[in-house]
Amino acid sequence: MTTDTTTAPTGMPSTDEGTLFERLAEVWVELEEHLARVPVLIRLDDGTVTIDDYRRLLFNLRQQVVDGSPWISRAASNFDIEHFELRAAAIRHAEEEHRDYLMLERDYVAIGGSLAELRAGRKNIGSEALSGYMFHYADQPNPVGLLGAMFIIEGLGARRAAGWAGRFQEVLGLADSQVHFMQYHQEADSEHTGALEAILTSEMIDDAAADEIVRCAQVVARLYALQLEELDS
Amino acid sequence: MVVSMGSTATAYLTGFGRYLPGEPVDNDGIASRLGGDDPVTERIRRRILDANGIRQRHYALDEHGEPTELNEELAVKALRAAFDDRGIDAADVRMLACATTMGDVLVPGFASMVHGRLGGGPMQLLSASGVCASGLAALDAAVSKVRLGDHPLVAVVGSELSSRSLRQRRFDDIRAGMDSHFLRWMLSDGAGAVVVEFQPHPSKPSLRVDWVRQVSLAHEHDVCMRAGMDGIEPGVGHTWQDVGVAEAEAGGMFVLRQDVTVLDELAEAGIEQFEQLVDIGLVDVHHLDHVVCHYSTNAFRDAAFDGLRRRIPSLDTEKWYSNLETRGNTGSASIFIALEEAWSTGRFRPGETILLAVPESGRFSFAFAHLTVVAPPDQQGAPT
Repeated sequence: MTTDTTTAPTGMPSTDEGTLFERLAEVWVELEEHLARVPVLIRLDDGTVTIDDYRRLLFNLRQQVVDGSPWISRAASNFDIEHFELRAAAIRHAEEEHRDYLMLERDYVAIGGSLAELRAGRKNIGSEALSGYMFHYADQPNPVGLLGAMFIIEGLGARRAAGWAGRFQEVLGLADSQVHFMQYHQEADSEHTGALEAILTSEMIDDAAADEIVRCAQVVARLYALQLEELDS
Repeated sequence: MVVSMGSTATAYLTGFGRYLPGEPVDNDGIASRLGGDDPVTERIRRRILDANGIRQRHYALDEHGEPTELNEELAVKALRAAFDDRGIDAADVRMLACATTMGDVLVPGFASMVHGRLGGGPMQLLSASGVCASGLAALDAAVSKVRLGDHPLVAVVGSELSSRSLRQRRFDDIRAGMDSHFLRWMLSDGAGAVVVEFQPHPSKPSLRVDWVRQVSLAHEHDVCMRAGMDGIEPGVGHTWQDVGVAEAEAGGMFVLRQDVTVLDELAEAGIEQFEQLVDIGLVDVHHLDHVVCHYSTNAFRDAAFDGLRRRIPSLDTEKWYSNLETRGNTGSASIFIALEEAWSTGRFRPGETILLAVPESGRFSFAFAHLTVVAPPDQQGAPT
């Protein structure tokens, strides 16, 4: 698995630990190291993944993906007027993503899963932790640190999801319409990460905000990997 | 930037079933079911049976010629047999593709009636009508939807209950020449079904569907096999719907007929279609292990066999499979009934390829499918 690091543009908050992008890149490297130990991704990599693995992965992701738009909306509502740009970005983002889980559900049904069972499912331990953390964070006034969560989650979509989709297709012989959720996220999240980078390099982000963003990214990276490790738990 | 490769899934046949109603009927048992025991009819029947080579068939008729089951019941029983073979039930089915020449009722479509009797959950339906090739038309639709990823599991059934219309009452006071006798002593009842999935069977071999091809040559051929029309020229006043039902019946429009004089032409056209598949590379004659061919009578078996052998010198009777002689000619069901028997009796080995071939006399249609036997997926490395 390749490690995709981000080059830091100039004009970013810079501390002894480096620019914000350099610090986020380090978090990303740690995330990659965690992902390399996730059993289902190991099986995907070595070609022993089964259709049941894919079904379980979708099942587990779905229970957390349905919370995506709500926590972003909640964050939007907690940005005061001084943070209007972040509020606007969050509202846009929440609107863009609020139907994504439907795509995942169609993929699940297209590989033989039951929609009723999928919708009756519960979060795994990692998803509980991730979702709980996100809602907790989004409840804080001006939760700027969530940009770090976005960096991780959108980054996974933009850099990894399509690769996973392609590999599932390759190993299991799936049609595009069975991996639509993962495929779509490469395109959609690439746009989102572009917008995110613009915000991260803007004057809105001071040193304190940068620290918050990095910390939030670290937590979300760990919890996201946990969600993938703890399938069905 | 995503460059979509437009990937499709693969379709596998993972379950096989058939249903043949009642006890097998030998050549001496036909007259008690279908009638026609006068000396002239008797003589014609013997002659036709000698030619078509069918020794045994099934009718959904009791020994007095009264119907015992509906066509939709035959279809459901074949489907249930295929589901049992695969270890699923009707609730797992997302699409049902049914083929028949004539359903039990005029309206609604045959698939609606089969689904109603079968049960299960909501599903997509297709009623493929036509004659023999409609079985592979239904399979083609099923395979296409599975490949698109629209459905993970589709059931396909071909089902025929022609015997009802072959009974004596249809022939009383009707001019019945060779065009009707030929079919009357050839067709019989039965249903065959397959389960189509996007993944191979988890623990048993499956048949991967490499391709399905269908072609009609109706643009250059007159009607050959027909019912419900007067003569072979379609026109207002010459179909059963344009005239009174009594008039249509008196005119013999409800008798199944076939223009037997063009059947040689049909066989030649079928060979030509096969040749084209070889020419464009869809059939590699050096890697074709089995041929399961539908034909109405043994006379065409020999024509088809010789035709194929011109391109496949190694084709011998070992590679050639048909159960016409013992299961009869069941139209759109035949190819599935033959495939089921070939499969369940262990003729096929992993890695081998199979060509299904179905000529249809209706108005010159031809359907082919190419299958490859695949071993169950290697379970090593699977999650525990």
